[in-house]
Order: sequence, then C-alpha cells, then structure tokens
Amino acid sequence: MSITLPTYSRLEIPLLGRRKRVWAIIATGLRKELRRPAAIVVMALGAAFTTITSIVLLFFAPFFLPGQAHDLTFFALPASNGFVLFFVTLMAAVIGSGLIADDMQSMAFTLYLSRPITQLDYLLAKAAILAPLISMVTILPLLLTALVAALLGLFSWTIALEAMGISLVVGGLLTLFYTTVTLFLSSLTRRKGIAAAAVFAVNFGLTVPAGILADQIKNPAILYIAPWNNYLAVAIAAFGASGAGIDWPQALSILLGVTVLAAIVTYIRMKAVEVISG
Amino acid sequence: MNGVVEAAGVSKWYGEVLGLNAFTASFGKGITGLVGPNGAGKSTLFKLLIGQLHSDQGKITLLGEDPWNNVPLKRRLGYCPEQNQLYGWLTGQQFVETLLRLDGMPAANARTEATAALKIVGLSDAAQRPTQGYSRGMRQRAKLAQALAHHPEILILDEPLSGADPAGRVHILQTISDFAKDGGHVLMSTHVLYEIERVTNNIVLIHNGKAIAAGNIHAIRALIDTHPHAVRIETSKPRQLAQALARMEHLVSFEFPAADTLLVRTRKPDAFYKELPQIVSDTKLDVRGLESPDDSLDAVFRYLVG
Repeated sequence: MSITLPTYSRLEIPLLGRRKRVWAIIATGLRKELRRPAAIVVMALGAAFTTITSIVLLFFAPFFLPGQAHDLTFFALPASNGFVLFFVTLMAAVIGSGLIADDMQSMAFTLYLSRPITQLDYLLAKAAILAPLISMVTILPLLLTALVAALLGLFSWTIALEAMGISLVVGGLLTLFYTTVTLFLSSLTRRKGIAAAAVFAVNFGLTVPAGILADQIKNPAILYIAPWNNYLAVAIAAFGASGAGIDWPQALSILLGVTVLAAIVTYIRMKAVEVISG
Repeated sequence: MNGVVEAAGVSKWYGEVLGLNAFTASFGKGITGLVGPNGAGKSTLFKLLIGQLHSDQGKITLLGEDPWNNVPLKRRLGYCPEQNQLYGWLTGQQFVETLLRLDGMPAANARTEATAALKIVGLSDAAQRPTQGYSRGMRQRAKLAQALAHHPEILILDEPLSGADPAGRVHILQTISDFAKDGGHVLMSTHVLYEIERVTNNIVLIHNGKAIAAGNIHAIRALIDTHPHAVRIETSKPRQLAQALARMEHLVSFEFPAADTLLVRTRKPDAFYKELPQIVSDTKLDVRGLESPDDSLDAVFRYLVG
C-alpha cells in the first residue's frame, strides 16, 4: 500500500482591495464579540435601559420641566440620561478595552500584521467594530425616543426629525470620543483589565470628583476636565436648552481635541509598535 | 547582494537585552535552515524579516526590499509563527480562510484555497473543528497551511516542527520540500538540528544573536577541521585496535564506551578515513561497523559555539 500526499503548486490569484481586507478584520472582530456573553449582555442591557429610560424621561418631562415650551429643548433630557454614561463606560470597558490589548496578548496581532494590511487598516477596523456597538447606547436610544415621541403624537414630526438629526450629531460626537479614547487605552497595554480600569478612571474618575470639586469651590470650570460634562454642555446647547454650567464651544473643543489627539497618538503608537513575543 | 535575505551588521536590542548582535548573513534560494538554541535570536531575525520589528543598526532586506512597514512585500511572504494562533474558537478552515481574506482574497477563492492548503498539511479531517482543540502539532500544521495558502514566494517558518507528531512531521517536511521544488524559498528555524538536514544542506548557524557560520553543511564542516571529529568503531577487540591506531599523529583521544566499541577523535578526519583501511588490513582486526556520531548539524553547532 502506498500513500500519496497532495503536492503544493504555485498559483496566482487576483487580490481584492483594501476595503475588503479591512472588512475581513471587522467581520472577524464582530464575530468574536458576538460570541462573548458579557459583551452581548452589556450591549442588550445598554440599548434597552438607555432607550426605555430616555422614553420615560420624555414622558415625564413636563413634570421635571414645568412650564417649559413643548419643543426641541425637551430632548436635552434624554440626551443627558445618566444611563448613557454608565453603559457607554461599561461597553467601552467590556468590549473596547480588549480590542487591541487582547490581540497583543494572544499574539493574534502578529498574524494580522503578517498580512498585507497596514496599522491604519487595523485601527480603522477596530474602530469600525467598536463605534457601532457604542452607538447602540449613544445614538440609537435618542433616535428611538424621538421616533416614539412623534409616533405617539407627543411632538410634531418636524421637531422629532430635528431632534433625530441633532441626536445623530451629538451622539456621534460621544461615540467618536469613546471609540478613539478606548482604542488608545487598549493600545497602551497587553492586559485588557488595565485598559478597562483606565476607561472607568476617564469616566467616573473624572466626572464624579469634577462635580464635587466644582460644587465645593464654586468654580464650574473644573467640570471641563470630565468628558461627560463636556458632552452634556454640547448636547444641552444643541437642543437649545440651558443649564450645563459650562460653555459649549469650549466643551466641544475639548471633546474634539481629545478625540483627534487620541486618534493620532494611537496611530503613531501602532505604527511604531514592534511585535515582541517571549 | 542578491540573496533572498541579506543582513548586514543587523543589531536589535530589547531594552538592555541584545536580540541580534551585528548579524551578517546572506540566505540563498531554496530552503535555508536557521539553526540555533532557544534565545539565539532566530525569532527576532524572522520578526525583522516580516517587518514586525525594526533593526536598531545595520540593514536587512527580504527579496531585495526593506521589510519594515512594507505592506506590498507581505503579499509575497507566508509567515508561520512559533507560538501564536488567531482565535481558538475558529475552526481550522475558518482560521485559514480568515487570514486569506486579510490578504484580500475573494471569499470563494479563500474557501477553496484554505481547503486545499489544509489538505496539503494533512488536516482535512480536522478542518471543521475549533483550533483550540487541536494538538500542538496540528496547530503547527494549521499555521503552515495559512502561511502557504496564498501562494507566497517565500515561507518564513519559525520552528514549524516544534511539537509535531511523526505523521505531522512527514506532512510538514513534504510540504516544505514541494514548495521549494515549485520555485519557492523557505527560511526555517529550528533548535533540533537533525530535523533540518532532512530538507536542506543550506544552513545558517546563529548563537547569541550572531551568525557564526553559514553555507553548506559540508562547507561548514571544513571550517571546523581544527576541532576533533569523533568516529565510533564497532569491533570485538577495541583495545587492540586502539593500540594499532595510536601511530596516527592526528588522533586526539580514545574512549571505550562499550565492550565492543572504540570511540576515537581525530583532527584530520580525511586522513583518518584514508589510513584506517590499511591499518585494519595489516592487523587483521575485526571491524564490524563505523559511524561518525557527530557527523551532523548538532556536532557542527556544538563545535562552533564551543
């Protein structure tokens, strides 16, 4: 009896473009996240809680804001929903913190970069995995709230559509901020626990002390150090409401500045990163 | 400078640890074995070649190009890392397919090529099982499959036989040989020296980050003429034979490892093999077998690194 092994032979196959290669990373990354019970639970709870509470807040807005005109400013309330901060932090920590750190730790990064993809491709793919998931907490609930409000006749379609447009912009800003900052933190370490802790520090570690300090020393400028406060200032102003305590242009500058800086630093870091195994 | 790999004075530090130390070597076409113990700098060299590390000093080229951040060059190489896998929940088929998709291969082609590559390395039966359930040898074969599935010009294989079972070794070595026969180049590292002799005579010996010898195994042997060469002789009268051989001036030592064995060491193996038949004939001693226990890469390596 003889054994015949298949033999190797060279073959030229036309290769697809960059977009398809990036999509391959996204598809694999999404499949990975959707297999993790923790990620699914956080996503489901986050989307459900923020949406439900936002709609409830809208219903009770007349009680919270008595005498206020029935206009766009009502939508500042769901946009300021505290559950958004809670779940966006949880989502960034549970899903985002491991996106790069896990690949570094498992050395999957070595295999990725042994293929004809650039570090920018890799980062864009990771951002494309995280951003839609975060937007389930930052954008989707606001859109659904406006939609429900219009469907139930609580607001005119004109106001609801305007609210949706603004929600897309302010929610998009928050999504962009948390995506870039989380990826930046994830790129700094091979241990996602450290990145997750940093995500919590950036959010609650800055937001809570900033609020207390600003109140104690009667200086609202302290609020600028917390991303959430900056977002609130921008969102509240965008919906034409007031009461953020800080000026929205400065807050917007800080959010955009940090977002761009985090993206650039992450790119430079990934570009220079050397894959060192044991 | 027209080798597949050209390295000139390449040094790489990891903080205070020296990974490569003015490494200079030229790797030719076909299969080249990079031989050295653990920590010698083999993986560092390979990471430099696939552009995942940047040299601190010197110049290194792969297929005539600088590999650092060289994306187009990655289309031309297939890399099989020693340790890592992608995600354990991926089946063997998905693992290879995913990496082919990262190459930009259309989905249908990726599926076909992944299936073919897994068949070549003998993993067809396990293709639909998650790789986390694979044995170490199966993982090695899966990694080899992803390295060659996109039909690269050069394979860079970091310890491809590490942990492989005998059947797996046959598949891996057969695949490597076929790849080279088809015009591909292979750089393959190992610290188990005899493995590489089965596929190539071209080797580069690396130790402490330096290339200590490069070329054909026999050419390297010529470099070590000054080192004693051991010959094991099976005879019924080892002591009498030793007495007869003692007149050879180039002999260094005699040992009697067994009742019917004589182990001699000579500084001039050619002269020894030339003179031995005459001495045996003159003394009429019974010599049943002759072998050189260190006529292998292992011995070459031991000699060269002291």
